[in-house]
Parts: sequence; structure tokens; C-alpha cells
Amino acid sequence: MMSVYLDYQSAKPLDPRVMEAMLPYFNEEFGNPSSLHEEGDAASTALEDARRTVAAWINATPEEIVFTSGATEANNLALIGYAFRNRDRGNHIIISEIEHISIHNIAKYLERNGFRVSRVPVDRYGRVSLSRLEARITPDTILVSVGYASNEIGTIQPVPEIGALARSKGIAFHSDGVAAEGLLGIDVQRDGVDLLSLSANDIYGPRGVGALYVRQGVRLNPQIIGGGQERGLRSGSENVPGIVGMAQAAAIMAREMAVEVPRLGAYRDRLISGVLSAIPHCFLNGHPQERLANNAHFRFQGIEGESLLLSLKREGISAMTGSACTAKTLEPSHTLMSIGLLHEEAHGSLEFTCGRFTREEDIDRVLEVLPGIVERLRKVSPIYQGNEG
Amino acid sequence: MDVKPTAYSARVLDHFQNPRNVGVLEGENVAVGKVGNPVCGDLMEIFIKVVDDRIADIKFRTFGCGSAIATSSMITEMAKGKTLDEAMKITRQDVATELEGLPPRKMHCSNLAADALHAAIQNYRASRGETIPMESVATEPETKVFVGEEAFIGKGVFYSVDDPALLKDQRVLVLDSGPTSAILSQDLMNYTDRVIFLTSDTPDDAAKTAELLKQAGVKVLFQSRLKEIKGHDEVEKVLIHDLAENDDYELVVDAVVILRGACDAEG
Repeated sequence: MMSVYLDYQSAKPLDPRVMEAMLPYFNEEFGNPSSLHEEGDAASTALEDARRTVAAWINATPEEIVFTSGATEANNLALIGYAFRNRDRGNHIIISEIEHISIHNIAKYLERNGFRVSRVPVDRYGRVSLSRLEARITPDTILVSVGYASNEIGTIQPVPEIGALARSKGIAFHSDGVAAEGLLGIDVQRDGVDLLSLSANDIYGPRGVGALYVRQGVRLNPQIIGGGQERGLRSGSENVPGIVGMAQAAAIMAREMAVEVPRLGAYRDRLISGVLSAIPHCFLNGHPQERLANNAHFRFQGIEGESLLLSLKREGISAMTGSACTAKTLEPSHTLMSIGLLHEEAHGSLEFTCGRFTREEDIDRVLEVLPGIVERLRKVSPIYQGNEG
Repeated sequence: MDVKPTAYSARVLDHFQNPRNVGVLEGENVAVGKVGNPVCGDLMEIFIKVVDDRIADIKFRTFGCGSAIATSSMITEMAKGKTLDEAMKITRQDVATELEGLPPRKMHCSNLAADALHAAIQNYRASRGETIPMESVATEPETKVFVGEEAFIGKGVFYSVDDPALLKDQRVLVLDSGPTSAILSQDLMNYTDRVIFLTSDTPDDAAKTAELLKQAGVKVLFQSRLKEIKGHDEVEKVLIHDLAENDDYELVVDAVVILRGACDAEG
């Protein structure tokens, strides 16, 4: 059976060109960048080349890049590191309701440690309201964190406007760039971002590597203490193969994005119009225009997401849902609740995210089997309104 | 070890993929048991037809995950042909065992089929005059002024809507205050795609209005009451009380319409 992977939001395969660039650094060039001998020099050269590449990709300087073990660590360093270092200036932080779960849980940790956190709501498409954000700013506010885009419903945030607002109020601005990297151009100067979290896997690099951009002059408390690597902000011997992989992934992305993004956008548009026209009582979640090029997120009246996933799996199709029935917490996705959905609506959600290795046939296959699956499950459902009368 | 919520046995997958006895029953000697609610992600209906104190026919409909569908399908097979007393003895654990087990996380949330069967049998017996103790549901008196309401007048709380265009693209909650509020809800759908009509009525009480509202695309919340309006400077959320479940939940909205005048005029 043909296998169709449309869950690029959850994980992406390593680009073979990235793996090729990484391989020498596992054995031939195994040195520690801190060592002063030949092997150490080769490793530190590779590390600093990688830093330049990643910095150039987001219009930063190499000194502003801190490599981490991934975006979650970058988020921890940004929010916890900034909050504790700048506590004397205020104890109030603003995030949005639609942030990634790691930001929400870090915010709860900060609340337990005496900080005050406000959560700014989003509109029915998932866009952060600037006026509601501004209304929450107080003299005590030191940091605003709003991601470039929603990892679930794909809605793109007005990041440059938020950056300008934060700057005008003298507040630092952190943005989680993970959902958007490789799909939107990220420019920390243009967008007024002071702290930016990135992940290597989300641009087809390896897992376990990420970076935090830290604007020059922004002060953080390190979260991992040790030998003082990464300018003291992130100790631990550097993961040179991983970092080389992240840089190679960024370099490929910088070259290919201009072609790749419109290609993915065409798949997305076909999927959205195909599903909406073939299936009754089906709705698009997220913004109709301001959405990531790879994201198609639906909800189907009267059926539940896990049963959709199981049925798709049987057809060889991998997708994602925000239903509680697949979650550890038995709660539906906080993102779907934040746009104003009822629980029963959130339970019926289904997300497709395409990527670099998606082909036209993958979209054909979904459009071929999904209407029948939805129809079958609706026949079993007591709440599908089409069953009445 | 963390067991995935979808780590299902082959029998669960079989009953999910090929559910037995899907449908509804009507007519003489038929009773239905309904359990769960869509809020928690599962809703089951089991229909039984009883002949000579035995379950002669049984059908189900389920909204829910794989295990919710599989457990309902399985219990229809287990109960068919059994006497009512025998069927009352089928437990959740029996259903799970017949299905070669369920993932731990699903044992409680999606294993309600036995409860639905028992409810159907009790309803059947009740309809025959065999009285069973009913749970008494305490209903709270209707609140006249909602918590937070006065703080948001003109900031998302509306007592009249002269110009629906002002609510363009907003998520609007309209409280049921009679026909005027239902007509307004339908009209608002010309300006936004998100109108929620909140009523304390049951779907049966308000069947006709509900049908018209649903056709217009209005989302109807039955057996519900507004409890509190929340927000920073303006309306951002409401707290809704579900009378059927005796439970509260939050819903994100931008506006709340309370047509008190219309209500007074009728009453």
C-alpha cells in the first residue's frame, strides 16, 4: 500500500544532503571545539562556520546565536533566563493563548516562581489582537512571547507589528520560530525580535539540535551551568555533527525556500478546496489567507479525530488531530479552544501538514479516501446532524 | 512505560472497522440508553427491543474514538439474546476482556457501553411501570444579572443589536430570550460565521426553533446557562453551566447579546 506522510508538523525526515554533511563529524572530525590541537581546531572551525550560516539565515550576527539541544531548551533559556535575569525591572510577562505547549508550561513554572503571566487572546482565526496585547502591558511588563505562527492551525501572527509595539514600550520580544521556519522568511531586524527559538529538525536537520538567537545587549541567566561553552549561556561540549547538520539544513532552506514554499502552498490549497467541496459539514480551522503554506486543518461535524486517524492509518495515511482522545491529558487542544471552538468541535479536528518530500499523488490519495471515511464514521454517529430526517 | 492511547488490540480494531449492529430501533417494546456527552468526546446511544424479557434486537450509534466505537459494537453482540437480568450483569470489565483489553487511558473515558446498555434496560423497565429510583437533579434558579455583566456593558455586552454589522466577524453568544433572540441569531449569520445560541431548553422543548437555527448555521447549546462573563478590558470568555452534566466550562467569545427587553415584553 502507498504510504502517505502528511504530519510534517510532528516530525520531519533528515534531508539526505544534511546527513552527508554531518557524517564526517561523527568520526573523522571528532574533536572538541575547546581543544587547542589540530582535531580541536577542525571542530571549532566547523562550529563557527555553522554559526555564521545560521546567523545569516535570519539576518543576525554569529555572536547572537546560541546552539541548544532543541527549541524546547531555547524556549526555556529565553523565557526563564530572561525573566530571572531582569527581575529587578519587573515581574510581568505576556504570552498568547495560542503558544506552543512548551511556552504555556514554562509560563506556569514562572508563575510558581513569583512572576505574573498574562495570556492574550486570539481572534476566531487564531491571530493575536494587538489592541488586546497592548491593553495588558503594565509598567512591570518585561517580556512578550508570541510565536511566528501556530504549529497546529498554521495561522501566521503579525510579528513585525508585535515587535514594533514591544520596542516602543521598552519590552523584550521573544518569538518561537519553529512552526514558521522554512515556510516564512524570518528576519530578526525587520521583525524586531530580541529572542528567537529555532529547531534543526523543522528545517529537515537532525533532532536534538536547536538555537536561540539573543540580540546583542539582551541579558539572560544560563539554564545549564558547566564549562562555559556558548559564551557561558549554554554549557556542555557542543554537538558538532548536529550543529553542522542544522547549518547545512539552513543553507539548503535559504536556497530552496523560494521554490519549495509555493509548491507546498499549491498542495495545501488543493487539499483545502478538495476536502471542503467533497465533504459536507466540514470547516477550515485557522486563517483562510494568513496561514502557513504547508497547513490544512479541518474539523468535521459529528465525528471524532482519533477514529479519523485510525481509519486513515489503515489506508496508509499519517495525519494529526487536536482531539482529547489522543492526548495525555484527555483535554482537547488548547489552540482549538483558544479560537472559540466547543469541545465537541475540537474533538472532530484533523490536521494535514505537507513538506519537502510530499508529492502530488499524496494529495490525490487523501482526496480519494477521506470522503468515504468521514461518511462511514458519520453513519455510526448519534450527533451528526445529516443523520436526522 | 507509557502505553499509547491508540495501542489497540486486533479485536478492538476489527470492531472499530466493522462495527456490528449500527443504527436505531423504533416502535413497540423499544428503549434507548444514552450516556456520555460530546464535551468529553464520547456519546453513545444503545437501542434495545425486548421480547419475553429478552433482548431480541439491539442497535447502537456512537460519537467517539476507536475504543468508544468498538466497545459499543462489542456489547451489542454480548447482549443480544440475553435476558434483561443477564444483560444488567455485563460490566465494563467484561466488555474490555472480550475485546482483549483496552489501553489504560481508555478504560474509563471510552468504555461507557455497559452504562448505556444498563440505562436502556432501566428505561425499558421504567416505561413498563417498574419504578426505579431516579436521580434527583437540583436545578439552580436562573440568574438575572450575570457575574461580570455590568463591567462589560458596551465592551462586548449588548442589550440590543440595532446594527448587526457592528458584530461583523465576531464570535457572538446570544442568550435565549424568546423568538426575537432566535431571529436575531439567524440574522447575525449574515455578518459572522460564529453565532452561538444558549438556551436552558432541551432539544425536544425547542425542536422547531433549533432546526431553523441549525439550518442557518447557528450553533445551539441546549440545557445551558450563562454563569459568568470574563475578560481583561472587554468580553473575552464566558463561563457556561451545562445543566445536563451539572458542569461548567469556558468558551472564548467576543460578544454576549442579552435581549432582556424582548423577554419582558413577552412575559
